[in-house]
Amino acid sequence: MVSLSLIPLPPFFAVLAAGWGGMPDALAALPGLSPSGAGLAAAGAQASQLAHCEPMRLNDLGHLLQVMGTFLGLSLFSLGGGNTLLSEYHHISVEQFCWLTSTQFADLYALAEAAPGPSSMLVGLLGLGAGWPEGPGWALLSAYGAELAILLPSTLLMVVACLRWNRLRDSPWRLAFERGLGPITLGILFAVGFKILHTADTNTPGLVVSLLVCVLMLRTRISPLWFMAVAGLLGGLGVINR
Amino acid sequence: MTDRPIAPSPQPGAIRPAPAAPSLRELFVGMLQVALSAFGGGLSAWSQRIVVEERRWLSNEEFLTGLTVARLFPGPNQINMAVYVGAFFHGLRGALVALAGMLVLPFTLLMLLGLVYFSFHTLPAIDRVLAGVVAAAAGMALSMGFKILGQYRADPIALLLAAGTFVAMEGFQVRLVPLVLVAGPLAMAWYWPRGGASRPPQP
Repeated sequence: MVSLSLIPLPPFFAVLAAGWGGMPDALAALPGLSPSGAGLAAAGAQASQLAHCEPMRLNDLGHLLQVMGTFLGLSLFSLGGGNTLLSEYHHISVEQFCWLTSTQFADLYALAEAAPGPSSMLVGLLGLGAGWPEGPGWALLSAYGAELAILLPSTLLMVVACLRWNRLRDSPWRLAFERGLGPITLGILFAVGFKILHTADTNTPGLVVSLLVCVLMLRTRISPLWFMAVAGLLGGLGVINR
Repeated sequence: MTDRPIAPSPQPGAIRPAPAAPSLRELFVGMLQVALSAFGGGLSAWSQRIVVEERRWLSNEEFLTGLTVARLFPGPNQINMAVYVGAFFHGLRGALVALAGMLVLPFTLLMLLGLVYFSFHTLPAIDRVLAGVVAAAAGMALSMGFKILGQYRADPIALLLAAGTFVAMEGFQVRLVPLVLVAGPLAMAWYWPRGGASRPPQP
């Protein structure tokens, strides 16, 4: 939901707001509504979103196996790096199993990007969130289990690939796969980018920051940590809200 | 199972000594070093610096081959690279050891950070800062597609495939797995190499 300021916006942002937020959110964000009213509307929208999905009542171990099984099945579909799975992660953790709210998902994504190491450690954070209601112990178990699950199948396949690469290198399967899945990955990455932007749920200054960061990422070699630090500062000062 | 499955043939009279094959322990420590060095970022650059230049485990060509394989196969690129380096010398065991070396520290750190997050993220001050950080992260996510767009600009079928995939996911909310299972084989069929020519057929 993009909250509209009281200043009349160019039509572009209005269309975006209506499209992304869906009509109820856009209506709730009409100018004239007090900040607390908009906040209540947002909380209501989130609560109703949660009410629609019924988390399964499993015991601790069942829950753990559910988490691991889900990621195990996804491992072989992480084409072109782990980022293509992000939309799927969101669907699973927010809509299907209700481990997290959309806001929490966005927070964890940012955390995984900012922290040192491969950003695919996000899955560990998702597992952490899945197990959190049962306490930090189960949360950690869930986290390590989830990460293991997402890495194991692709790792095994990779080992086989390494051992057989000389045979595979010039095979038509390899060439077709590489050339065919490239454009598909491209489409998925754009979809994922939009999805993350949606979950960021930011206001107009935030959107400007997002677009600016996008351009700077492409044109410069400035470390992303700088962008996140500055943006975090802007958030702390209240310039960027959600 | 050979120990060096993709080893190049030795060159007689080579000026620099052949790179020594690392033991399992050295693999772990080496990947740990990569993870620690890359704390500020640039994991792939540090990986190359340490594996190729400093420890001389792989030649540049071998490393680049690794990148090719890592990108081709499912799995995060950096993870796959670690697996490649490990599997190169010690097969599956090597791969797991290298992976552990690269992940154990950053992952534990991130999980602790995660626990802190879940404990305190409802505090208004933290939530405000996160709102900003998330905006920046969204910009980063948006740039991912643009980053690889350039290489497909000359290929209208590729752009069509990408556009179709995008519309399916974003407009029709098609899930990833069915999308890949349907679109993947179609794309592969289109790009299947014909009669020795390594070029997609011209329409």
